[in-house]
Amino acid sequence: MAKKITYIIASIRGGISVATHNRKFMAGLVMFLLVAIAAIIGSYFLPKSYYRTGSFKPGQPPNPENPLGTDTLGRDVLAQLCWGIQNSIRIGVIVATIGTLVGAAIGFISGYYGGVLDRVLSIIIDVFLSVPSLLFLILIAALIRGTVTVEIMALIISITSWAWPARQIRAQVLSLKERDFVYMSKLSGMGGIEIIVRELMPHMFQWMGANFINAFLVAVLTEAGLSILGLGPQREMTLGMMIYWALSYAAIFRGMWWWWSSPVLVLIYLFFSLYVLHLGFDEIINPRTREK
Amino acid sequence: MPSYGRYIIERTLTFVLSIFISITVVFFIPRLVPGNPIDAILSRMANIGVSVGAQELVEEYKKMFGLDKDIFTQYISFLRELLRGNLGYSINSFPATVSELIARALPWTIGLLSVTSVISWILGTLIGALAGWRGEKSILSRIFVPFALLMYIIPYYILAILLLFLLSYYMRITFGFGLPSSGGYTPGMELQGLTLEFILDVIEHSTLPALSIILSSLGWWFLSMRSMIITMKGEDFILMAYAKGLREKVIMWKYAFRNAILPQTTGLAISLSRIVSGALLTEVIFAYPGIGWLIYTAITSLDYPVIQGGVLLIIISVALANFLIDMLYPLIDPRIKYGGE
Repeated sequence: MAKKITYIIASIRGGISVATHNRKFMAGLVMFLLVAIAAIIGSYFLPKSYYRTGSFKPGQPPNPENPLGTDTLGRDVLAQLCWGIQNSIRIGVIVATIGTLVGAAIGFISGYYGGVLDRVLSIIIDVFLSVPSLLFLILIAALIRGTVTVEIMALIISITSWAWPARQIRAQVLSLKERDFVYMSKLSGMGGIEIIVRELMPHMFQWMGANFINAFLVAVLTEAGLSILGLGPQREMTLGMMIYWALSYAAIFRGMWWWWSSPVLVLIYLFFSLYVLHLGFDEIINPRTREK
Repeated sequence: MPSYGRYIIERTLTFVLSIFISITVVFFIPRLVPGNPIDAILSRMANIGVSVGAQELVEEYKKMFGLDKDIFTQYISFLRELLRGNLGYSINSFPATVSELIARALPWTIGLLSVTSVISWILGTLIGALAGWRGEKSILSRIFVPFALLMYIIPYYILAILLLFLLSYYMRITFGFGLPSSGGYTPGMELQGLTLEFILDVIEHSTLPALSIILSSLGWWFLSMRSMIITMKGEDFILMAYAKGLREKVIMWKYAFRNAILPQTTGLAISLSRIVSGALLTEVIFAYPGIGWLIYTAITSLDYPVIQGGVLLIIISVALANFLIDMLYPLIDPRIKYGGE
């Protein structure tokens, strides 16, 4: 057991050292953390009361008091942005954690045990992947519209976030389980769950990492999509809700560029950093894609 | 090797099953929330201050979907009505049915989506093939690769907002004219029927949503085609073609391009649901009168039957499209193995 744990720790440490030497991975990570940390620090100086309706003079362009101006409802845009980034990231983390873990569990079970169970699970995975998941989410979110919080939003998005990780992990398990060391463990009397956790899991950490980044990206994207449709957390701020408010009050056509462009630019920046991070991760998992 | 027949049967089964599961999920979701759907409809109507026709609506609903019976009977009546193309009544525009509203919105979405998908697929594939063939250092690659990456990373709705600002607002204040920012046509124009003037007006209104969908999906087609052609260039049969002394143009179009076009076609199936969701949001941003906008207005006015109908329609059409592409693919590409694993 102790040997196994040292092995797991070593493999994680090895993974980290490969990761820190990958330029794309590090660049993406630093870009992402920069914004996340800035938003957290910013939210200490700009409390939530800064984006309560009527806190400031409405419709002000950037000025010393409000560095990014205020919106039509007199809310400070920079405060909205700091809290919005935080909440969007929180949604991403919750969704990615649930999606990766649930997806991995289903993928492991489906791939390892095979048979009828695998057939059934595969079809369910296929259904979730072939249908635009945004639409299922619209149905659910529309039912509880108005009472949605950031956490509920995250849970709703999680409903469809497990399917892709599940398919990936299943495919990996299918090839891994034919290897000798798995037969060895079976012969030595290990049970299915034990083999999954002790023998297969350590080989999957990198895949799960890639799935995590992917699920995170999709979650932030989906949150914004649902919010633009008016299904977001109305009382809280996310990047999607910022766009929703700016669009509802026609910020573009009233020339209030500071209002609509802030969340738009931050989203582009976030997606870019996550994409670079993802590319880096791909190179780590798939040595073939590494730069020569 | 399993036959094509078995492949078709397996695919058809999966397709029917996935449609069935989707419909079942769509039926059960609203029933997970406590309370009966009719009470929910009534209280919502009271909230928005509609009272005309409320009673008739409730009666119609009870009759049609057996809402006073148990859930299994309700489910059967739901399926029965669905088969007849009946999706219930809209709450906001009662006595209009959901099917009527969808029938009005559908041509807009189909028109917009089909034209833009074809244009972006052809453009992306052709430019991607040229860029891949001419190599990493060519001007084409240098200009288009960063551009395509950017288009691929930026989500549909963000690009739509940027285009709205640049081509509608900014152009209007600097040059005095800009593209129309919302709607499918100038209100009132539809009264004159299908005249040339009306058609031109529709095209003018569709330009911005179309452009944003084309640009958003173009990036991916370009990138995948380019990398495919680059892989093809290293293959033996290309070297052989050179050795035979064939002209460069022939090698590119008849050898590399023809082989790379197959995976590019499957790509269409894989990204279909992404494109459809993206197009729905694009419609919302441009207030374009298609299914996406219909769902959006239904969301803002709590018209649940319309949301349900719209969602169901899109889910079924995407599944159907995927199924058709699955069916066609083995006919195009003889190398594919039937029967999966």
